[in-house]
Amino acid sequence: MSTGAASMRKMIRSNVLSMFGLVTVSIFVVITAAQILSSGAILPYNAYQPSFAQANLSPSLSHPFGTDLLGRDMLSRVVTALPIDVGIPIITVALSAAIGIVLGTLAAFFRGWLDEFLMRLTDLFMAFPTMIMAMAIAATLGPSLVNVTLSMIVVWWPPYVRLVRGGVLAIAAEDFVSISKALNSSFFYIVRKDAIPNVLPTILVYATFDVGSALLTLSTLGFLNVGIPPTAPELGMMVSNVTYNLFLYPYQIIIPAVVVAVIVAGFSFLGEGIRESLDVKLRPHIMIRSKPAKEMENPIDGARPSV
Amino acid sequence: MIPLRDFLPYLGKRVLGAIGVLIGAMLLVFIISYILNPNPAHLWAGARASKSTIAAVVARYHLDQPWYVQLYYFLQSYATGNFGIDPQTGRSILSEMEFYFPNTLELVLVSMVMIVALGVASGYIAGMRFGTKVDHAIRIFYLATWSSPYYLGGFLAILVFSSYIPLFPSGGMFSQTISPINHITGIYILDALLQLNGPAFLSGIDHVIMPAAVLALLDFGLVARIMRSSILNARWSTHVKAARAKGTPEGEVRRNHILRNALIDTNTIIAVTFGFMLSGTIVIEEIFSWPGIGYFTYQAIVSINYPVLIPCVLLFTLGVIAANFIADVFYSLLDPRIALGEGGGSEG
Repeated sequence: MSTGAASMRKMIRSNVLSMFGLVTVSIFVVITAAQILSSGAILPYNAYQPSFAQANLSPSLSHPFGTDLLGRDMLSRVVTALPIDVGIPIITVALSAAIGIVLGTLAAFFRGWLDEFLMRLTDLFMAFPTMIMAMAIAATLGPSLVNVTLSMIVVWWPPYVRLVRGGVLAIAAEDFVSISKALNSSFFYIVRKDAIPNVLPTILVYATFDVGSALLTLSTLGFLNVGIPPTAPELGMMVSNVTYNLFLYPYQIIIPAVVVAVIVAGFSFLGEGIRESLDVKLRPHIMIRSKPAKEMENPIDGARPSV
Repeated sequence: MIPLRDFLPYLGKRVLGAIGVLIGAMLLVFIISYILNPNPAHLWAGARASKSTIAAVVARYHLDQPWYVQLYYFLQSYATGNFGIDPQTGRSILSEMEFYFPNTLELVLVSMVMIVALGVASGYIAGMRFGTKVDHAIRIFYLATWSSPYYLGGFLAILVFSSYIPLFPSGGMFSQTISPINHITGIYILDALLQLNGPAFLSGIDHVIMPAAVLALLDFGLVARIMRSSILNARWSTHVKAARAKGTPEGEVRRNHILRNALIDTNTIIAVTFGFMLSGTIVIEEIFSWPGIGYFTYQAIVSINYPVLIPCVLLFTLGVIAANFIADVFYSLLDPRIALGEGGGSEG
């Protein structure tokens, strides 16, 4: 493990983009954690209290991101949004990966009708405008943070089932699994000791990319005012609330949008770095069963969902 | 290129698969809508609708019936081919979609042309200049645009190219001063062109360029990335070495041995990108006031209007399936080793 960590450090250091990803993700995760733990005490200004004398100030030293039309500090508002904009994508991806590990392992080991059913279902989801589906579910459930997370997970888990199933199938064909079976190891022992550790790196890489994709979808939901409650601070919604100010105070729109882009880029570049250092080859047949192997050299490239 | 006796069974198989996916998609949306919101009559009739209006809506859409009866009426309206009546406007859903869909097609097709040109060219340049500053610049550019939300691209474009440098209009499909043109295909610029209506055509082009370019810029990253990595794969492969060794002119090596091989992989990714673009139209059409199917779908979603939402989802799904099908056909055209439906199993 230590050699793995060392080579990982080396690879990340050797690559400027991955380094950028690591730094960006670390900064945002730390700020998010600080914001949650201190419940807002780290903010330079109150993010909710209007002060009309300070309204619509351009970015300056005292207000690095400027102020909005109610005179609230934009930097503080962006930081208040981070628990939602970093937290919900991470929760979505983590839970989807967990669902994928359970269902994917079951499908690969038991095959039969369960496998067939799950594969048909994931086929369906992959030919499907997932973003529209998530919007429809979130809109029908009504605005709440739990509902929006749920509606994201409903459309988010299928690729993970495929990824885990393909990985476990590949592992199951290896000699050490048949030896383990011959030694009369139990099913759960094989899953725990052989299958899971071997598919985990792939999942980790895919999930890192996927956090960025989930954030793009989430903030688009916010931008379209679907699912996220109007009082919750969310970057996409922050943009859509002031679109009429585009020509007068463009920074009020551009800054939150750029923050979203920076976080997404951070996770993508970090994912790239981890992929190179762990030397994970995401083989195409794992992702798209009905497609020939050559068509998608690297399914990570197809990781961005329909946004 | 493709023998008909290979093509027809393949086409049959694909059509059957597509029908399966479409039926699955329809059932899924119906079940989810039904479970989550079994009686949306008050939403469809409006907040201040009288009791009798709501009762009329309930009766018309059989909302008081159990789910299988509702599903039966759904399927019946689909079998007649008009998707029923939009509960909010009272018009036939099919005629509404016939109005909105060509507009989206115009936007997406123009954008697709840009994506292919931009993605293939930048991926080719980056791959051929691997490791140079040009390569790094192209990579950083497409990774950055790829990470950006659509609304960032849309608002930046409006800000810069409609406000600071007023080159393009910030929304709409054509200038209000232009007299309406006859509908032939429904695609505005194509209709203008067919009727040789110069001003309408130019106005249409003027309006479509910015939204299409934003959509293209934010989605071309995937194509550029795959193109670059395929160029890298092809560049140092043995068949290219062999071609050079036998004295093939460099231009021909690049065109026939590197570019053509790289296009084989890129082709499928273009189809995948098409799926992203269709969803991207929701945001882009909202920002650029583009009366397309994305806008229509969005309106259906926020009003939980699933009689409209289901045909829209089916249309989007059909778009993705069609794009994949076209990619498959191109695939067998580009790679003579591969018969339709078999794919690139053999390594070249």
